Amino acid sequence: MKMEDMALSGPDNTRLEALVHDIYSELVEDACLGLCFEVHRAVKHGYFFLDDTDPESAKEFEIVDQPGLDIFGQVYNQWKNKECECPNCKRLIAASRFAPHLEKCLGMGRNSSRIASRRLASNNNNVSKSESDQEDNDDLNDNDWSYGAEKKCEQSENQREIPNNSPRRSKSLKHKNDDKLPFVSLALFQYNNYNNAGISYETLGPEEVRSLLTTQCGVISEHTKKMCTRSQRCPQHTDEQRRSVRVFLLGPSASSLPDADATVEADMFELQGDGSGAQSLISRLQWEDSPEISPTDSASSRASTNHSDPRRPKKKKRTSLVLNSTAGGGGGGGVSGEGTSGSLTSGSNGGVSQSNVSLPAKKKRPKLPAPSISSIYDDLN
Amino acid sequence: MSKDSQMRAAINQKLIEMGERERLKELLRAKLVECGWKDQLKAHCKDVIREKGLDHVTVEDLVNEITPKGRALVPDSVKKELLQRIRAFLAQHAAL
Repeated sequence: MKMEDMALSGPDNTRLEALVHDIYSELVEDACLGLCFEVHRAVKHGYFFLDDTDPESAKEFEIVDQPGLDIFGQVYNQWKNKECECPNCKRLIAASRFAPHLEKCLGMGRNSSRIASRRLASNNNNVSKSESDQEDNDDLNDNDWSYGAEKKCEQSENQREIPNNSPRRSKSLKHKNDDKLPFVSLALFQYNNYNNAGISYETLGPEEVRSLLTTQCGVISEHTKKMCTRSQRCPQHTDEQRRSVRVFLLGPSASSLPDADATVEADMFELQGDGSGAQSLISRLQWEDSPEISPTDSASSRASTNHSDPRRPKKKKRTSLVLNSTAGGGGGGGVSGEGTSGSLTSGSNGGVSQSNVSLPAKKKRPKLPAPSISSIYDDLN
Repeated sequence: MSKDSQMRAAINQKLIEMGERERLKELLRAKLVECGWKDQLKAHCKDVIREKGLDHVTVEDLVNEITPKGRALVPDSVKKELLQRIRAFLAQHAAL
């Protein structure tokens, strides 16, 4: 070994270079040999030509290299102006704005409770307005149409927010402009809700609690001891929970959901009010019922039934009315027990009204009955 | 002459013993794949095989066809780096 080292460090560098090149070419030949083995094996196993394509398809799938086209030869910004139809409100929305719109439209995501209560507030505000008006309002608030519309809306929103820098506050102020006392107090509650994300029910008076429970879920949370401020059909809580909260806060007489009661009343009034005319109306309502569920629709129906707010006297009257209707209107008797326990099979006309009543949350209530209900109700008062 | 071959054998043995030969081989393979040498040679293999017919290909044919081309296609940078590594190894070894 020592002798070789001496030879290596010796003067003849040419020999050393020759040696280095030899080693190098050996390595390269090794690599070539490895490749040859690999290719030979692939050929003999028949997978060497598998990745080959015939000339036509090779031409067809050739990579396109032209300005304005992607590698498949397509115009790559053709999706820019693509529009999607919202399954909820059936409008066309720019694809890039679709996800945020859907979040708002369906009322999901972290802003949902705020939007739901805002919607509720606007519904309370213009009780007598029809559904189409509601939807128009929605359009104004909804910025999802296009970029231009969005910018416009943002501008107007900024202008609106100048006075106190909060849309919520302006909402509640709008409520205060109403002369109806219950709504003012309700608006105050909602304003509180916005700040607390829940209400501590101990601080409220009985009237306040009642008006609160007619519009909101109100289930008391185990953790925060606050009331849920979402709408009455908030998905977090069950009807059972809501009922028990109402029993707890208002006593056993208010065990059923207020809105269910109200709609029961409404239909009972209809039934009793003008006999056969009401029946035809009910059958028409059935036709007008559409399967699609819209939060504004149901909210507005609830708002309309909530229009005359003092609940107690109403309830007492209701029982007598129900008795009347059972005498006159076929199978209406089941309604008096629980609004939600009505059967869905519609045998007689009374049954039909029952099924209408029993699903206030799922059925779209047409705007027609709202004024008639209130007028009848005023007559009765 | 016998001294020269003796030295060659000793150095080769040293290369294998130290694991340097494997390392160099691995480095060369990686570099060659990286620079597309392998794809070029494979394309050439395809031509050769098509010419000869799929069933009449032998490893010897392939080696004879491929090796000169493979040697020529090695990029200069790869060749330089490899020679450098070999020289460094020899120098280091001579220093011991």
